[in-house]
Amino acid sequence: MHEVSPALHTAEVIHWIALVVMAIVYTLKIRWLLSFNLGKDKSAPGNPGQSNKQRGARYSLWNVAMPWSMESTRKPKGFIFYLSFVIFHLGVVAGISLAFVSTIAPDFLRVPVVGYTMLVFLVAAFLVSVYRVFRRTLRPLMRLISTPDDYFSLLMLTIWFGLGACTQAYLMGVWGMTNETLLVAYLYLTSFFLLYVPFSKISHYLYYPFTRTYIGRALGHRGSYPVVRG
Amino acid sequence: MAKQKTHKIKMMEEQLAKKLNRQVVGSLVGCVHCGMCDESCHYVLAFPDDHKMTPSYKADQVRKLFKANHDWTGSVFPWWVGADQVPLSDDDLETLKDIAFGTCTNCRRCTLSCPMGVDTATLNRVMRGLLTHVGVMPEGVRVVSKDQWELGNQMGVLKEDYIDTIEWMSEELEEDLGHNEAAIPLEKKGAKVMYCINPREVKYDPRTIKEAALIFHAAGEDWTMPNEGWDNTNFGLFSGDDGLGGACAKREYEKARELGVDKIVISECGHGFRSTRFEGVNWAGESEPVPMETSVMTMLNYIKEGKIKVDPTKNPERMTFHDSCNNARSGGFFEEPRELLNLVSMEFQEMYPNRAEGFCCTGGGGAMSMSEYTPKRLQSAKIKADQIRATGAKVVVTSCHNCVDGLNDLIKHYELDCEVKQLVNLVANALVLDEAVKPVEEPKPGDIAVAAVAAKEPLAGRKILVVDDEEDVRTFLTMVFEDAGAEVITATDGDEAVAMASEHQPDLISLDLSMPGKDGVEAFVELRKTEETREIPVCVVTGHPEFRQVIYDRPVTPPEGYLGKPVDEDKLVAYAHHIIEHREEKAN
Repeated sequence: MHEVSPALHTAEVIHWIALVVMAIVYTLKIRWLLSFNLGKDKSAPGNPGQSNKQRGARYSLWNVAMPWSMESTRKPKGFIFYLSFVIFHLGVVAGISLAFVSTIAPDFLRVPVVGYTMLVFLVAAFLVSVYRVFRRTLRPLMRLISTPDDYFSLLMLTIWFGLGACTQAYLMGVWGMTNETLLVAYLYLTSFFLLYVPFSKISHYLYYPFTRTYIGRALGHRGSYPVVRG
Repeated sequence: MAKQKTHKIKMMEEQLAKKLNRQVVGSLVGCVHCGMCDESCHYVLAFPDDHKMTPSYKADQVRKLFKANHDWTGSVFPWWVGADQVPLSDDDLETLKDIAFGTCTNCRRCTLSCPMGVDTATLNRVMRGLLTHVGVMPEGVRVVSKDQWELGNQMGVLKEDYIDTIEWMSEELEEDLGHNEAAIPLEKKGAKVMYCINPREVKYDPRTIKEAALIFHAAGEDWTMPNEGWDNTNFGLFSGDDGLGGACAKREYEKARELGVDKIVISECGHGFRSTRFEGVNWAGESEPVPMETSVMTMLNYIKEGKIKVDPTKNPERMTFHDSCNNARSGGFFEEPRELLNLVSMEFQEMYPNRAEGFCCTGGGGAMSMSEYTPKRLQSAKIKADQIRATGAKVVVTSCHNCVDGLNDLIKHYELDCEVKQLVNLVANALVLDEAVKPVEEPKPGDIAVAAVAAKEPLAGRKILVVDDEEDVRTFLTMVFEDAGAEVITATDGDEAVAMASEHQPDLISLDLSMPGKDGVEAFVELRKTEETREIPVCVVTGHPEFRQVIYDRPVTPPEGYLGKPVDEDKLVAYAHHIIEHREEKAN
């Protein structure tokens, strides 16, 4: 076990408790979703040559990694947004990893290749997140469809990425970051997220496998997934 | 003081609970408001400054209702997730009606552009269903739904008129072929195929029935048309009313079982195919659905199996193909219609984007019956018009009757130099009839003379009143009717038309709708309400898109026929002849 100060220890304990609470709420949320009837398509498969529910579901689930599969991510403007999406979510992975690994094996985050990779992801995600804040607040379309939850979630994530980058810098001893408070604050902010996320739009990743599987199976059954275009 | 929800809104909330299944809930909770669906919608592209056209905004209308009633956060902190903006008054419902029915054709293009897999089109249909449940819907949707509930078809075609049209087409086939072996079978038990059609074919385009019959005959098919359950369309798909959807589909399935057919063949109708072949099975709770296929597959298979022969040189014009959203995105048919088109025509030019990413014709989702949204629909049609223009095609081929009407409207509106055809038109035109289906008896010389006179002057002895404010059109119609043997009198506005009809008692009135002074709609209603003119048949001949309002808003008996401008001469004479003959048969 690594040596920690009382303040950091408290933050770590709260962080793990928040994780358990989040897991419980997520379990309940999935149970809630599954409490609704699954609509079954009793019709015969659509186009004999193309229809395949499983193939449609697989295609649908993997389309996150296939920007060419959707017009919205294939066009230049959409592709740039797709790249920002990739960076943003790599930043999320880095941020979550930072929170957990720092409480278990902080030295691992000091390995240069690991540490700098984390740092790059977090800084890039922070910049993308700032861009997204402007996109959401300045574009009339985005303002029209945004709720307070949308703004708050994005703003908090931006702060989280920024704080995460500083925390990683602290762990690596770079950028002049020497104050442990950064790590403590980061863990408290992460704990807040763990508790808030299940009730916010950020929980979309929980539903993602379900929505993508459902639409993939439905359109796969008809024969229109994988997408056919000429 | 907070506003109280009206009874209708409480009913909608109750109904929403019944419409929730895992897929719908997934789409309701899955949206992250990323805005990626924005440019997939033809309404967004046509109205770039109106952000309320964006699909996620439209879907949010039902999402807010869901969050306020079923979502944890929305129940406790509604303002946090937008659930405080739910409809409260009946006026709010009118706004929702305009969004759900007037700014979305449920084409599902946005669904394919959503990174989260949110089925926005389905959510819009859910909203339509909630509104329909409390009686808030466009008048056209209300009337068509009522007809489909009560008369079994969406255009209020009476059984006798349906049978009469089938017999008329049989007679025409007999005239064309010189024998009656191609007569359309009705209610034939044990036939292999039951052919279901769109009521539009009976009412406005019966030649497609004749063409299909010719193809079935040439292929030697053992087929029949039912005398009930023949309407393959389903307004339940458009109105969101699963009950109506199930009832319509069940009529077809039960009739197919009663006749003992092997399969149902669905004529070229996009939503008819989708709702009969797929959705209807689920709405009707069918456990063992009757085998079904689109007539496109049937025709293609006939050619592939050598049952019919086609000559593509009969269709030499440059053609392009428009994918019906329901056939393609929701039905999985992309290549088959193109394969068939290539077999029966000489020059095919692809339209871009196409297949799963093709744009809606803008007539989908029941839009053709909602005349209050016609200007907006036509403006959104610019996207499709530009696509068609870029192909340089003279013919736009499609496999959907709604698309035919939608495309015809946009072709007129944007003055494109092309026409719309369906595959059945092209296959029938390209058909090479072998000896077995050619005339078997040589007509006698006397018969030929009589037939020639009858064919040349089918309207001999008839008096026709032509009403149109445009001199060119009046002259053209007069010439066509006179060439067919009719005596023609003319009127230039509604008042004159009513007066002349009373005075001259014509056998038929050809009526334009858009005229200065008393327009055709007012004149039509007055003709129907006046004792002396009530029984005179009317054929609306119009280039005005709102002509459908006459059909759907009908405090009086609807017109006996309508034709869109520009008018095909042969079709005009055939229609006039049929309407007059039919009226006389009824009178006798």
